[in-house]
Amino acid sequence: MKKFLAIVLSVLMLVALVACGATTTTETPPVEAETPAPTPAQTPDEDEEDDEPAGGTLTVWCWDPTFNIFAMEEAARIYAEMNPGFELNIVDMAWDDIQIALTTAATAGNLDVLPDIVLMQDNAFQMNVINFPELFLDLTNSGIPFNEFAAAKAGMSMVNGNNFGVPFDNGTTITALRTDVLEEAGYTMEDFENVTWNEFIELGRSVLAQTGMPLLATEAGGGDYIAFMLQSAGVSLFNADGSPNIADNAALIEAINVYLELVESGVVLEVNNWDEYIGSFVNGTVAGTIAGCWILGSVQSADDQAGNWGVMSIPRLDIPGGTNYSNWGGSSWAVTSNANAELAIDFLRHTFAGSTELYEVILPAAGALSTWAPAANSTVYAEPQPFFGGQAVFADIVRFSGNVPAITTGVFFYEARDAVGFAVVDILGGADIEQALQEAQDLLVFQIG
Amino acid sequence: MYVFLAIAAFLSIFPLLWTAISATNSSVDIIRGTMLPGTYLLQNLNQLLEMADVRTAFINSARNAVLLTFCSVLICSLAGYGFEIYHSKAKDRVMSMLLLSMMVPFVAVMIPLFQLVSNMGLLDSTIGFMLPTLATAFLVMFFRQNIRSFPHEMIEAARIDGLNEISIFFRIFMPTMKSTYAAAITITFMAAWNVFLWPRIIMMDPASITMPMLISNLTAGYVTDFGVIMLAVMIATLPTILIFFFLQKYFAEGIAGTIK
Repeated sequence: MKKFLAIVLSVLMLVALVACGATTTTETPPVEAETPAPTPAQTPDEDEEDDEPAGGTLTVWCWDPTFNIFAMEEAARIYAEMNPGFELNIVDMAWDDIQIALTTAATAGNLDVLPDIVLMQDNAFQMNVINFPELFLDLTNSGIPFNEFAAAKAGMSMVNGNNFGVPFDNGTTITALRTDVLEEAGYTMEDFENVTWNEFIELGRSVLAQTGMPLLATEAGGGDYIAFMLQSAGVSLFNADGSPNIADNAALIEAINVYLELVESGVVLEVNNWDEYIGSFVNGTVAGTIAGCWILGSVQSADDQAGNWGVMSIPRLDIPGGTNYSNWGGSSWAVTSNANAELAIDFLRHTFAGSTELYEVILPAAGALSTWAPAANSTVYAEPQPFFGGQAVFADIVRFSGNVPAITTGVFFYEARDAVGFAVVDILGGADIEQALQEAQDLLVFQIG
Repeated sequence: MYVFLAIAAFLSIFPLLWTAISATNSSVDIIRGTMLPGTYLLQNLNQLLEMADVRTAFINSARNAVLLTFCSVLICSLAGYGFEIYHSKAKDRVMSMLLLSMMVPFVAVMIPLFQLVSNMGLLDSTIGFMLPTLATAFLVMFFRQNIRSFPHEMIEAARIDGLNEISIFFRIFMPTMKSTYAAAITITFMAAWNVFLWPRIIMMDPASITMPMLISNLTAGYVTDFGVIMLAVMIATLPTILIFFFLQKYFAEGIAGTIK
């Protein structure tokens, strides 16, 4: 028996050795990645325009090689020109995975694993900063010109009046419609401009009657629609003190009524999931879509529809404070408390918050639109887009983004959105709207304690 | 009867078939519901190689899975063997406590495990990846149950012939239980190849990426290229398919719990 144990133990040790041996072969880069960048001390006299750190390496977590990662690579290239020797180590991680990693690191109290810069979904930004304040750096006095970004966008990454994120991609909500279908029904894009939702529904009914095509499609439940309609009126699901603002929220009731009307009139086709939703306009089942402007990438994947699309702002709620502008999605860069702060901030200040060149490169190549106002003056933004019948869509969208009302998402944005989503399903099933919203509020209060 | 079986077989094979077909189509064609093989395989492959480091991910996955399978099967079969052959009341109690650990979901132990592995400096390493699942209650139980049908007379005969206990295990027991090992290897390899959450937490470096992580990254963008994803899924599925076909004969026997 003793002998047996001895053998088992030695096998275990052998296993450990084998495994260790195998790892060393792949472990070269982390060393480089985790090494704190050699900051100013190294080159105090190699004077550049301001007191920039020379060289150094930053690690970034972000997702999407064709969009965010591409933008980061370009930013690294531009920054390396003014700071030779600079290196950027980009880790491709899906947003859900970044959230898991952030939560794990924070809960385990191990901040050493964090990179220098993290890309975060705007809707989750305040939640993460409030839940894990030890994870992120306050950038308010870092010298990054936050006043040059669209106010609503910068507001998404603000907590208690302090800036925690450098705004990146634009999530301005747009209406994209098929001009050929509208023409068939005797309309032009102008007829849909600056309309209220009720006017939009009337137009939609007419298009449906004449062409048999619904104007829009969305995932069943309409949570996203209600969220962006609320923001267009500057209304949040939470009061300033963080308490839920669901029951007796006039804007919410109006938004739900509009959504019900959209579905019942057949102007909006409800589909089961995101893939079906993308399919709805790529296949030509519906004549358009309303979503964040990032949807244009998917819209343009249908080559055969080139030249037949137009883009404008969204309809408004017919209530005081209602506007034709809103926001859906988008993300911002956060600097972690594990960062080489000086280098990370300097990098962001000279790229995403200071380089027109960067935005000029990533717009045509990746469709990544800026919320940094100076970039919109670039001629690249004003170029007519053949896919959209020669419309200068990007300049238009940046113009829209300046008019979006700011809201607070708070810690429990996703929970609130889900609670409202459940209520809408009940209401579609015939439940009383005020009662359903009261139940949603109770559910949310119960959930968040 | 055969009609029913044919329908069932079709239902199980269809998703795989659809994935294979989709890997040869463009994303737009997939959304439009094309069911015929297309001509986009090469474009998808180029796009995939451009977007992600498939080679690194594949090698990492293979190394992690092979090492974990080898070690885990060895350790668990030794444990199962010990529990059954050197049977005692006390060991039965230990076994039931082990089985209790099967009831604890992974997410419940995830954070402490992460802390442990990170404090040991094993992030981004194969051994960190292997540690939590090196010995699983399921596999120990699987071996223990199968060893029940192993004739103890063979062990006694071997002892009389002068073999020591270790040699009995490696020279008598292991060759006899081939089918059980085949089943255990298949199960462990598939689990190790497909595991996502654990490596996602501890593998911070791009050089440590695994196939499931790579596929997760592909689905993250604003614009999802389904053709590329399906191709990546096909590449990620190949090794498990190969292992399964290779060990199929033994696998069925091992699951049925018989020995010759």
